[in-house]
Amino acid sequence: MSLRISEAVIWQETGEGISLYHTETGDFHSLNDTGSRIWRLVASDGEREPVMFKLSRDFAGSNSAMSRRIVTDVEEFIGAMIEQGLIEEVPAEEPAVKEESLS
Amino acid sequence: MSAGTPFTGTVSTGTLSTGTSSARPHPMSRAVVLGGGLAGVLAAAVLAGHADEVVLVEGDRYPSGPRPRRGLPQSHHSHVLVAGGARALDALLPGTVDALLANGAHLRGLPGDALIFSADGWFRRLRTDAHLISCTRGLLDQVVRRRALGGGDVEVWEDTRALGLTGDEARITGVSVSRRGAPPETVRADLVVDATGRRSHAPRWLAGVGAGDIEEVSVATGLAYATRLYQAPGDLAAAIPAIMLHPGTAKGQPARGATLFPVEDGRWIVTLTGTRGGEPPTDEQGFTAFARSLRHPIVADLMAEATPLGAVWPYRDTVNRRRFFERARLPAGFAVVGDAAVAVNPIHSHGMSVAALGALRLRDELARHGIGPSLFAGLQAALAAEAERSWRMAIEQDGQRVTARATARIGERAGEQVTEGVAERAGGDDAPRREPNAFEREIRTRLAQAKLSSPRLAAAFFGVQTLICDDTATDRSEIARVLTGRPEPLLTGEEAIGQHPALAAWLRLRFAAATG
Ligand SMILES: Cc1cc2nc3c(=O)[nH]c(=O)nc-3n(C[C@H](O)[C@H](O)[C@H](O)COP(=O)(O)OP(=O)(O)OC[C@H]3O[C@@H](n4cnc5c(N)ncnc54)[C@H](O)[C@@H]3O)c2cc1C
Repeated sequence: MSLRISEAVIWQETGEGISLYHTETGDFHSLNDTGSRIWRLVASDGEREPVMFKLSRDFAGSNSAMSRRIVTDVEEFIGAMIEQGLIEEVPAEEPAVKEESLS
Repeated sequence: MSAGTPFTGTVSTGTLSTGTSSARPHPMSRAVVLGGGLAGVLAAAVLAGHADEVVLVEGDRYPSGPRPRRGLPQSHHSHVLVAGGARALDALLPGTVDALLANGAHLRGLPGDALIFSADGWFRRLRTDAHLISCTRGLLDQVVRRRALGGGDVEVWEDTRALGLTGDEARITGVSVSRRGAPPETVRADLVVDATGRRSHAPRWLAGVGAGDIEEVSVATGLAYATRLYQAPGDLAAAIPAIMLHPGTAKGQPARGATLFPVEDGRWIVTLTGTRGGEPPTDEQGFTAFARSLRHPIVADLMAEATPLGAVWPYRDTVNRRRFFERARLPAGFAVVGDAAVAVNPIHSHGMSVAALGALRLRDELARHGIGPSLFAGLQAALAAEAERSWRMAIEQDGQRVTARATARIGERAGEQVTEGVAERAGGDDAPRREPNAFEREIRTRLAQAKLSSPRLAAAFFGVQTLICDDTATDRSEIARVLTGRPEPLLTGEEAIGQHPALAAWLRLRFAAATG
């Protein structure tokens, strides 16, 4: 399964990280630095593995315990985003990235 | 008077038949409604289909014509009936809206027949199902009373004050009243409905029979009203849109606004509103100057062209106040309707509509259960549910939703400590509010301005405001569209007025006359 940002989400980079607005629920969200980083990777890569890989490379280096921990944390974060309808899981062949931004 | 006594014979009844007849297998059922405002009159009309006798106890005297009255101090002020209430009223008393219109009331579509300067800008004329009916409160009450009480099924006791309840914490058996200042007497009842409005003493009355406390919530508004009627210039009297000037968004300033609605007999009713520090004056000059100082002069200009009729009337008791009778263990045989239970800031124009919706619900509950224990079990909760939307809307005026924060923390490379990843969603009622960031402010502004010109967003917005739909009816794909598309330009005041040909022509003439 690929990941993509929900079409119902409008998001923007702000000084404080990424801010999101879910047009269907009317909820605003703001992501901290790390959350913003994951979000950007989901937006650009659209797959779990490269997201996990890049984050554990950057944060854990060769520490495998840390790497496992990071994978768990990222899974949890993405899971929460999916639960809230901010990120969607789609079959791999569908276009994975859809960005909406304020014009 | 003793608790639980079915019928004591102490009733002074006028033409009311007072007791059970030995020829009848079942005792006569009697409902007594306290307060003959809109909620009480509608409740009495509904009960007439289910109780053998219905008595409506009103402390005031009804005027002979469509005029304000002492027991209803708010009847000097603008009262518009929003679409949800108009529908409910017609469902209860078919043909009432037509009768109002035939008697000179005006129907104005929202925002199609309205000139509205909201905090976000001027609305375009857009057709939606939302509308309001505008006439004086005196006319509305008179038309409703005739239709609701004209059949003679309800015994109306004017000049009669309700003093308290009889019974105990388990069962209300009647009510103590005083007719025209006479000594108190007890009226037996199978059901007592309190509809005595904002100043209801129901919690005290309940305490008097040993029932528990009633939880009460008040949300102050600081809002003051000042209202005056005008004889309108003939050509413009009925051609005018409903005019609403909302307060602007300036922080730390009192919120000051105005409405001008056409009412029957070629008149306009002008209401000026202001919060603490910006209350509208009630003297001639001050009233005019206040209107002139608003964000746009249109109301002041129209006032200048019209002839004042009578005094400027003030009103200050605008607090949102809810008594949660439905949460208490109410004695059987007692219910509360209308403002006595839930009274919202009048700026929302909901009270009469909620009264009509409540009466419809009462009718449904009576049809299902009749007057008896199974009715009493859930009646107050059902009535409260009809007021819920209006109450929520009133107390969440700013409509701001608490921002959800999503936070991800993962192991820091430099630090040895690995922090649990967190994806938390703070939200709901307990979440701390924080200042919206620039992104949120932009989204909110874009959405607020989009509803000025998007037919779908305007329909949803006014549908909610007029109680014909709830906020889930908002077309979310339209929200995405307006946020990602190019925003519609905002109208200037001149353009907004230009949408209303009669008003625009009048302003042109006025300008031409002034410039000679
Ligand atoms: C300034 C103002 C403007 C408003 N504008 C609007 C509007 O535009 N649209 C809208 O829908 N609503 C509006 N409302 C709300 C509306 O007035 C009420 O919601 C509506 O009147 C229904 O109330 P009610 O019947 O519950 O009480 P009320 O209308 O207050 O009636 C209570 C009745 O009980 C009687 N009474 C009181 N005590 C006793 C007693 N002890 N014994 C016997 N009789 C008693 C009174 O004489 C009165 O007749 C406005 C309110 C205010 C204050």
